[in-house]
Amino acid sequence: MHRDEIPPGTLYLLILKTLARRGELHGYEIAKTIQQNSEDVLQVEEGSLYPALQRMLVKGWVKAYWGTTAENRRARYYRLTALGRKQLQIEQSQFERVVGAITRVIETA
Amino acid sequence: MFFRREKFDREMDEEMRLHLELRERERSANGLPAEQAHTSARRNFGNALALREASHDSWGWAWIEHFAQDLKFAFRMLRKNPGFTTVAVLTLALGIGANTAIFSIVDAIFLRPLPFADAARIYLVDRTGNRLGGSSISEAIFVAWQREAGGIFDHLGLVQFVGSVKLTEDGEAQIISAAGASDEFFPALGVQPELGRNFSPQDGKPNAAHVAILSDSFWRSQFGANPNILGRRLTLQGLPFTIIGVLPREFVWPLMPSPPQVWLAVQVPLISKNPSNGGQLAVGLLKPGVSPAQAEAALTPALGDLRQEFPQMFSPHEKAHLDKLHEVITRGAGPVPLLLFGAVGLVLLIACANVANLMLARSAARQREMAVRAAIGASRRRIMSQLLTESVILAVFGGAVGLFVCYTVFDAILAFVPAEIPHIGAYNIDGIVLLFSFLLSFLTGIVFGFAPAMDASKVDLNSSFKEARAQNVPSAGRIRNVLASGEVAISLILLIGAALTIQSLARLMWAPAGFDASNVLTFHVALSGERYGTAQKRSAFFKQAIERLAASPGIEVAGVTDTLPALRTGSDMLFSLENEFNAQGGLEAHDADIRVVSSDYFRVLQVPLVRGRMFEESDNASNVPVVVINQAMAKAFWDRQDPIGHRIWIGKSMGPSSAEPAPRQIVGIVSDMRQDSLADLPNPAMYVPYAQTKYTDSEYFVLRTERAPLLAVPQVQDALRPIDPETPLTQISSMQDVVYASVKDWRFHATLLGVFGGLALLISAVGVYGVISYSVTQRTHEIGVRMALGAQRHSILRLVIRQGLTLASIGIAVGVAAALGLTRLIVGLLYGVSAADPLTFVGVAMLLLVVAFAACYIPARRAMRVDPMIALRHE
Repeated sequence: MHRDEIPPGTLYLLILKTLARRGELHGYEIAKTIQQNSEDVLQVEEGSLYPALQRMLVKGWVKAYWGTTAENRRARYYRLTALGRKQLQIEQSQFERVVGAITRVIETA
Repeated sequence: MFFRREKFDREMDEEMRLHLELRERERSANGLPAEQAHTSARRNFGNALALREASHDSWGWAWIEHFAQDLKFAFRMLRKNPGFTTVAVLTLALGIGANTAIFSIVDAIFLRPLPFADAARIYLVDRTGNRLGGSSISEAIFVAWQREAGGIFDHLGLVQFVGSVKLTEDGEAQIISAAGASDEFFPALGVQPELGRNFSPQDGKPNAAHVAILSDSFWRSQFGANPNILGRRLTLQGLPFTIIGVLPREFVWPLMPSPPQVWLAVQVPLISKNPSNGGQLAVGLLKPGVSPAQAEAALTPALGDLRQEFPQMFSPHEKAHLDKLHEVITRGAGPVPLLLFGAVGLVLLIACANVANLMLARSAARQREMAVRAAIGASRRRIMSQLLTESVILAVFGGAVGLFVCYTVFDAILAFVPAEIPHIGAYNIDGIVLLFSFLLSFLTGIVFGFAPAMDASKVDLNSSFKEARAQNVPSAGRIRNVLASGEVAISLILLIGAALTIQSLARLMWAPAGFDASNVLTFHVALSGERYGTAQKRSAFFKQAIERLAASPGIEVAGVTDTLPALRTGSDMLFSLENEFNAQGGLEAHDADIRVVSSDYFRVLQVPLVRGRMFEESDNASNVPVVVINQAMAKAFWDRQDPIGHRIWIGKSMGPSSAEPAPRQIVGIVSDMRQDSLADLPNPAMYVPYAQTKYTDSEYFVLRTERAPLLAVPQVQDALRPIDPETPLTQISSMQDVVYASVKDWRFHATLLGVFGGLALLISAVGVYGVISYSVTQRTHEIGVRMALGAQRHSILRLVIRQGLTLASIGIAVGVAAALGLTRLIVGLLYGVSAADPLTFVGVAMLLLVVAFAACYIPARRAMRVDPMIALRHE
């Protein structure tokens, strides 16, 4: 099956949205969720998830803490902050504006 | 953060490991074999190490950690290659050390701000369009300007160098240096005496009590910084002065031949000998908001008024002119700072090129190391920053060694700096100089490290690992060739500069001066006080002194003159031919040098008499005034006639105070001599006997001695003590030393460029050697093949040498073109040789070719001895 790489710049949006919907997730779960929710079309460049998460930590959009998985493995879980929620709205409206514009261009063409 | 780094890495690793394991498990659950599941999970994930680094970088600690890492690594690399490190550090030490030394000198000459509060408003006021040339002003002009100064200047002061004066303390005489200043001179500079008071307007009145202000250093050395010095008596030139103040320690007045130890109040107006030329400087503090142009417009009419009074003395074109003090000081140094910085900057460039070449050669050897770094996730930027750290460390080490060398030889360098260059404060290695040195080292490291870092970080992983032998990247070879040619070009420029200035010095020293300076002793006497109050008394002293000296053992002939050749302190005078009138019916005025001498002056210096006679005993105050002229004057004013017997008026057109009472009869013609400076052709000159003029208060004795001149000093003292035990003999020196000192500027330029040119030649020879030697190593295989195919050994030798000479020739061509443009800047420093002298250019180019040949010869010999079997097997 063909998988598209996610468009550049939207990784933050996808992570924010995923965390907003699902609450607390560790890295692999985030990657997996994005893949599943996009019905396997979107594939996160898996490794790049981690630098992105660190940048989001620096910006204060997410918080991280160590917990254990169902299988009793240590894992780092991420959770949205209030700032992250605000950022999600910004990213989302920005994204819609861009997509809307592109769609109009394509349809009128 | 360094402590947290480990924890951070551990946590990131754990997080990513979990991810990979979960993904791997998912893949195998989907039916992939275990091994494939493992690799596919990893491939999908990417470079874990690089991702961990990127994650860490998001926190912005990266640069500090990278820097610490780079530093540690750089030190390790430099320690591991002691040969490379030593050569690079020494090369850089030469470059940076030389630059630091020169910076400290140029800083004192003009980079430093003037130590005056309102330096931007301090101007020198002089004039342009002067009939006699020169721009100095007289008291008469100053007094006229003072009347206009109200709306223009906050203060307008007069300052004048007085020179040596005799200080008598407890019966002991010593010579100190004095200057004169009017009451507003110190206020114009914003300077307040540290102790006591400044001159008052009353101090400047004629017949006022004499007062003096001491310099800080004189107060300390002479009076042990005695705080109760004010009011104390000081006997100068036999006159009593009262000490009224001590200047602050940091006070300097750069525009003087030597720092004055005492300042005396200039009495304005003095009895003016000459309303036109006086050697004084007017210093003004412009009022805020007044422009120099406004001031010039306001002061110029005063010169017109003076012209009404002294029509011969002022030309109609004279204008007042303002110059910012700081600019005057800067100009005083002439092209010297530019020359210094230019030459030393070029040396540093060569040093940079050389070290860059060393690093390029090394980077080829380090290609595998770089490839490994890139393979385990180092980005190009990281590799570059690491290499640049290495080069900066090298440069900083070089700078430190250079600073040390500069510090140890600093006094030797200063000995070459001509004292006449005005400078603000002392030459020293201070904080600013240290900062300059550090910044320069840093910059140097970046400059020479950049190309090698660019080159080394351009790693092609595939070829680097596959090739058994690291192949030379062609671009690096090209850079190295360009650098080597560039070094040759820069050396050529410096060497041509050196050759031109050295030739100037030689030509100057060998120029036909017209006098013989060997075996001549000279010294100065200043006759002052009641004892020498009249011209007759002074004349009697000279007559007696000359007789006694000439009779002393070891002294052949003795004479006097008011100034020595090559001192550049001689004066000139207006004179008129007896029967030559101008359109207005007045006597036409001409200009000629004038010297007050005894007739044996010419015998001492061996200047031959061409016609007529020398002075005689009878040419004294009671007989007909006479004058001897030189050939240049005879030719200029009498051309085909015989001037002997003709009469001239000296000073007649300069107003009543300068005019001599009677015309002088020309009695002799002497041959020409360069009596002002060795570089100037002889001017028309008049010589008047000391017994027939009043200007005899300051004379030099010249004595022709049988043996080395200075050996005769005790005889001189024995001969003069009975006549006058009090007047000190000063400036005792051989005439040859006087001449030698007069070419100090030329010696300075020649030494400087000679040393820098030599350094450049040495460094670039090493550079060419390095490039050729490296290329021979690289081409060992190729040379082996050529030999196996039957190439002769000497043709291999030729091949290598041709490569080196091609590099050198390109450098020489570029260098000649650049030198043709650059030497024009030093025309002012040359004497008797053109800035584009073909012989010099060809000679220096040949020298460089020979040096390049020698530098290639050693590696070429090595290439010739390559054993084809070994070279081929090596593959």
